[in-house]
Amino acid sequence: MAMRAGAHGVAGATAGLEAGKLGIWWFLASEIMLFGGLIASYVVFRLGGEGWAAEAAHLNTTIGIVNTLILLSSSLTVVQAFAAAERGETRATTVFLGLTVLGGLLFLGLKAVEYAGELGHGFTPASGLFWSFYYLMTGLHALHVLTGVVINLILLAGRRWRTPHRVELGGLYWHFVDVVWVFLFPLLYLA
Amino acid sequence: MAVTRPHPRYLVVWAWLLALMAAGLAASAAPRARGLAVAVIFGTAVAKALLIGLNFMHLRFEGPLIVAIATVPVLFAVVLTAALFPDFVFGP
Amino acid sequence: MSASASAVREPSVHPAHAGFWSTYVFSTDHKTIGKQYLALGALWAVVGGLLAFVMRWQLAWPDTAVPGWGEIGPETYNLVVTMHGTVMVFFVAMPILLGALGNFLIPLMIGARDMIFPRLNMLSFWTFALASLVLLASFFVPGGAASAGWTGYPPLSARPEYTGVEWGLNLWLVAQALEFAAFLMGGVNYLTTVLTLRAPGMTLLRLPLLVWQQLTAATLFLLSVGPLIAGAFMLLLDRLLGTGFFLPDRGGDPLLWQHLFWFFGHPEVYVILLPALGAVMEILPVFSRKPIFGYRWIIGATMVAGGLSFIVWAHHMFVSGMDPRLAMPFSITTILISVPFAFLVFAMMATLWRGSIRFEPPMVWALGFLAMFVMGGLTGIFNGSAPADIYISDTYFVVAHFHYALFSSLGFGGFAAIYFWFPKMFGRMLDPALGHLHFWLTLVGFNVTFFPLHNIGLAGMMRRIANPLQYEFLAPHQWLNELATVGAMILLGGQALFVLNVVRSLRAGPRAPANPWQAATLEWTAPSPPPHLNWGPAVPVVSEGPYEYSRPDAAEDWLPQAASPAARARGEGGPWR
Repeated sequence: MAMRAGAHGVAGATAGLEAGKLGIWWFLASEIMLFGGLIASYVVFRLGGEGWAAEAAHLNTTIGIVNTLILLSSSLTVVQAFAAAERGETRATTVFLGLTVLGGLLFLGLKAVEYAGELGHGFTPASGLFWSFYYLMTGLHALHVLTGVVINLILLAGRRWRTPHRVELGGLYWHFVDVVWVFLFPLLYLA
Repeated sequence: MAVTRPHPRYLVVWAWLLALMAAGLAASAAPRARGLAVAVIFGTAVAKALLIGLNFMHLRFEGPLIVAIATVPVLFAVVLTAALFPDFVFGP
Repeated sequence: MSASASAVREPSVHPAHAGFWSTYVFSTDHKTIGKQYLALGALWAVVGGLLAFVMRWQLAWPDTAVPGWGEIGPETYNLVVTMHGTVMVFFVAMPILLGALGNFLIPLMIGARDMIFPRLNMLSFWTFALASLVLLASFFVPGGAASAGWTGYPPLSARPEYTGVEWGLNLWLVAQALEFAAFLMGGVNYLTTVLTLRAPGMTLLRLPLLVWQQLTAATLFLLSVGPLIAGAFMLLLDRLLGTGFFLPDRGGDPLLWQHLFWFFGHPEVYVILLPALGAVMEILPVFSRKPIFGYRWIIGATMVAGGLSFIVWAHHMFVSGMDPRLAMPFSITTILISVPFAFLVFAMMATLWRGSIRFEPPMVWALGFLAMFVMGGLTGIFNGSAPADIYISDTYFVVAHFHYALFSSLGFGGFAAIYFWFPKMFGRMLDPALGHLHFWLTLVGFNVTFFPLHNIGLAGMMRRIANPLQYEFLAPHQWLNELATVGAMILLGGQALFVLNVVRSLRAGPRAPANPWQAATLEWTAPSPPPHLNWGPAVPVVSEGPYEYSRPDAAEDWLPQAASPAARARGEGGPWR
């Protein structure tokens, strides 16, 4: 049920703006600043510190690569869900949304396996600044992935409720979470 | 009624994302030329983010306001990072 | 499912069937939500004021017991100082200036029936209420409430053993996070609503300046709070999980917190200032019967100031031990930011110039804002220049500066707004005689409290000390502390007049007409108070700008924004006194 700018005779530069999309983008702007603050802190500490690369070598890069592939692919499936919803193909929409949820759950599962391994080896958040940042950044990101999974599950569940507009909005959030990971992965695992 | 705009070729974009990822991985495995490797790793990351933003998030079809909402925070985050350099990177 | 092009958003509950809970408690009506923010902010103002009373008594007569509290030791004083700042900034100023004024006025001023996301709006208030509950609880947990300053600098805040406060500070962080979430939701609502729900004819350049200021404030908050939330997570982890983001012996750096905090903290003070400026900019034209001077330039200057506010933050850190090479760039940007603000002050003065001034209470408070804010701005120039700041930082000179800037916003600007829009909100007129008396007591009390702090700050009195008499060099200046406390008693006591005025008006005050002040903006075309959905079947259509006063071609001397005959008939207010 999108409120449109044109509905009230609003003219000029803001005509044609969909309220929901605008709202989501404002929210994403604040999220960019949140992860931006975290990443900024990590970058300067890393560049100014020593031994971080050695600590990072303990990360499971294979899982990192697989997780990156999963998230990139789930971005594909969620936008395909939106395209399908716009074409009115309810079956395809459901399938793509389901695949997205699956991807999210897989990501979280692998992350849990990763954490278990690292904690098992004695690498806790208190094991040094690299690990503090690692757990905080990936943990906060994982919470965002979980939220996205929940959003997509809600979209999956209610068929009448699931408009193309809402699928698009859920997708925007999901893509943002993916973009954050696109930066977290090289920052933590590769550099 | 959403404004129906053309859809980019999502599958092609996805393939590019994977290719960029492979390039970044290859660079990280390079034994020497760390500076260049880091440039490739983060350059491909930025490229991936742009691809996702412009195509999956449809920024290439959005008006200037939404593009500004997406871009300005990134600029601010870069400013913050830069301002932290003297104290944490260049400092004692 | 999708709205047709001509559909008007209907409320989720039909007014005739709405019960007590959905009308007064879980309401999605922006006016009710605005009043809820006002009420909760007012309650916290009492708490903040009491804490101020304790502080001022302790500073004037440190070896006596504070009436109603008892003897204050240093730890308790730290708690009082911390919570006074936290409460006033986050739980009084923001809910009243941003939450109450923004929620109540924005839809009315743009000609909308409600915000674009009414349920998100309700969620934002209840999140703020939850934050309030958490903060209140923090007073009663073992160890007491947070006591590491409203700025919460580590390592003091990172190691519970340094303050003796364990759960109080953890709850403080949680309360802040919830408060940030509430205002982020609100900000998204304001920004989206103004961009999508304006009435026909309400172009962006016909918006009342209060709306522009609220939007700028919302944007500043939205873009600045992220890094602090990041820092808050880091601080929580340092306290709870043994990480070392801010602890040197664990590899971290306390300076990082300061950067993250002030990156937010500086835009935050403009988040508080701008709504007050917006209210004053609405009031000055009405009571000078003159258009605002330089409408477009004001918008531009506000945006420039808003943008600059993101690159001045380290002026709070000149003596923190940060890289000294940062001092000059940040001094320059800080001096630069005084330029757009100076323009705003000049624009307000030019609005008054040769106006036909009516000294009603809202105007008197607005003039008080102008005078006090100029003083705060002038001392800001000293603080913003690194060489001077090295001497005055962390002294009471800074305390004087920011109280002149913040109290002028929250106190003078806030009361100006309340006196101005009270008739619209509650359908009653406030007593003007009490309003004037309230103003004078506040003006005198405020200046007697805070002006001496400039002097005692320059004499070297440090911030956050519980007992000035411990320092021999301060003894000759102690009379300034006593003077300030006398002023504080006048200031705090004078607020009783306001409470009296409100209670009497709400019970038996004269009924307010739709437009008691003969003001032109759209909210004055709705009844006082406006019904659910604000107007009857017809939303106003806008044909004028917001400040068309002293129009020689108008039948009276002014043109309302909504110039259709029906709206003008609704807009005929009570007799002009």
